[in-house]
Amino acid sequence: MLDQLISSLTDGLLLGFVYGVAAMGLTLIWGVMSVINLAHGPIIALGMFGAYLLFTHLGVNPYLAMAPVAGAGLIVGLVIYVIAVHRVINAPHLSSLLATFAVNMIIIGVGTAVFSTSPQNIDYSLGSVEVGFLTFPASRLVGAVGAILVTACLYLFLYFTRPGKAIRAVANNRMASELMGIPSSRVLALSFGLGAMMAAVAGGLIATFFPFTILSGGPYELKSFVICVLGGLGHPLGALVGGLLLGGLEGLIPTFMPVSWVPVVEFGLFVLVLLVRPSGLFGAK
Amino acid sequence: MAILEVNDIAAGYEGVQILWGVNLKLEPGRLTTLVGSNGVGKTTLLKTVMGLMQPIDGSVSFQGKDVTHLSAHARAKAGMVLVPEGRQLFTEMTIYENLEMGAFSPRARATFSQNLDKVYELFPRLQERTRQKAGTLSGGEQQMVAVGRGLMAEPEVLMLDELSLGLSPRLALTLFEALTRLKKTGLTMLLVEQNVTMALAVSDYAYVLAEGKVHLEGPARELSKNDEVRRTYLGI
Ligand SMILES: Nc1ncnc2c1ncn2[C@@H]1O[C@H](COP(=O)(O)OP(=O)(O)OP(=O)(O)O)[C@@H](O)[C@H]1O
Ligand SMILES: [Mg+2]
Repeated sequence: MLDQLISSLTDGLLLGFVYGVAAMGLTLIWGVMSVINLAHGPIIALGMFGAYLLFTHLGVNPYLAMAPVAGAGLIVGLVIYVIAVHRVINAPHLSSLLATFAVNMIIIGVGTAVFSTSPQNIDYSLGSVEVGFLTFPASRLVGAVGAILVTACLYLFLYFTRPGKAIRAVANNRMASELMGIPSSRVLALSFGLGAMMAAVAGGLIATFFPFTILSGGPYELKSFVICVLGGLGHPLGALVGGLLLGGLEGLIPTFMPVSWVPVVEFGLFVLVLLVRPSGLFGAK
Repeated sequence: MAILEVNDIAAGYEGVQILWGVNLKLEPGRLTTLVGSNGVGKTTLLKTVMGLMQPIDGSVSFQGKDVTHLSAHARAKAGMVLVPEGRQLFTEMTIYENLEMGAFSPRARATFSQNLDKVYELFPRLQERTRQKAGTLSGGEQQMVAVGRGLMAEPEVLMLDELSLGLSPRLALTLFEALTRLKKTGLTMLLVEQNVTMALAVSDYAYVLAEGKVHLEGPARELSKNDEVRRTYLGI
């Protein structure tokens, strides 16, 4: 029984790292420009298809495919920002919600037409890893390591590079940034691009675990919301911790109750945290 | 020739016009003060000059070039620097990072280390706590960071909105001393200040803003003897 529990927990935690990366994309965009990106799920799905297409049609190793998937995610994010978000950036939240929701519908619509909604999967196995009594797919381990690398890169970027510091400055005080010669609109576009990039990479990693369709981003978008609330909206590192928490729960819950209860518990927790600690479990303010 | 010229600027907010044709000129190397009662539109004028808001009418030219339609960051890059009212620091970033962000434009980056030395020399207090988050500093220290950050931008014209607001007389004095030292280096400055007595004492030239226009102007020493100025702004 205990072995079973630990094994489910490990499974969930490894997955949680990847959830964390997805949520980081959402939380980064919110933190910088107070926009909730409702196209987050479809971008995750695009990441899945990116990795899938590169692997199936060009024979690219799915893990090496993460680099072009990241690049494409960045570009998709920049384009979405320029076309749909920038003109409503100073408008009330409802405008940006509607704008990104429109993008969501467009991606889903075009994606359905192109890829249909029958499930695809990346037929590539790394076998399984055994640690003591634990056995889990190696892809989970690689996914978790990838997620940690992505998080570390994001942090190094935000704290030790000029454009990264400019992102933090704009997030902190956009008017002051302009006064210091920082082109804030370009910085916002870059931030949105990075958020989309995280989503796409998370999607690519998830595609190495499970089958997916163009609609598969939706549940991960919802999970990202839960994670962001757990970790405190706007805190990238909080997103990683929140991801681990959610992943761990997802691993454990099925050993106690039917799997169909997982979302009920998750969203119950979501509402509870919003009621009790709206700034997130780790949020300072 | 004036380094900065404000020509017939009209500006305001949705439905309320605040400025009705303001003209002023900053001569290079001179410290100019803008005096006016609360709510007359001094901050509005500085925001318009910096491009944070677009004028209804009129133009701004800097070093002989029309900058009326440039974005704020482009003006900052060219050397127009505003230390805004309320400091507007990057509160989540350290003192050092705030200063670094001040030197964001390529022109300022070239002189980063000299400017950093200058700022630390002017405000030694900042050097003692470079790793402290700006949001946790006292009001006076925050104002030093705000001025320091502005200086890091390698300004051709430095505009200061409410330099001493909310500071103790002693801290206000420290900042005014910094101002006079900067003046000696030949920096062109425009000062907006509640403490009109001190402002006029350190300035070369002054404008009095009233009812949306320049109501009076002249050498600071003469204006400080003007009866109307003494009554209205100096409380004598
Ligand atoms: N964002 C805004 N929207 C509408 N009205 C505004 C706005 N900002 C300022 N005002 C109004 O414009 C007028 C001028 O304001 P401004 O801040 O320029 O005055 P000021 O001379 O800087 O005053 P103070 O000495 O108090 O700083 C005031 O009546 C103010 O209420
Ligand atoms: Mg003001």
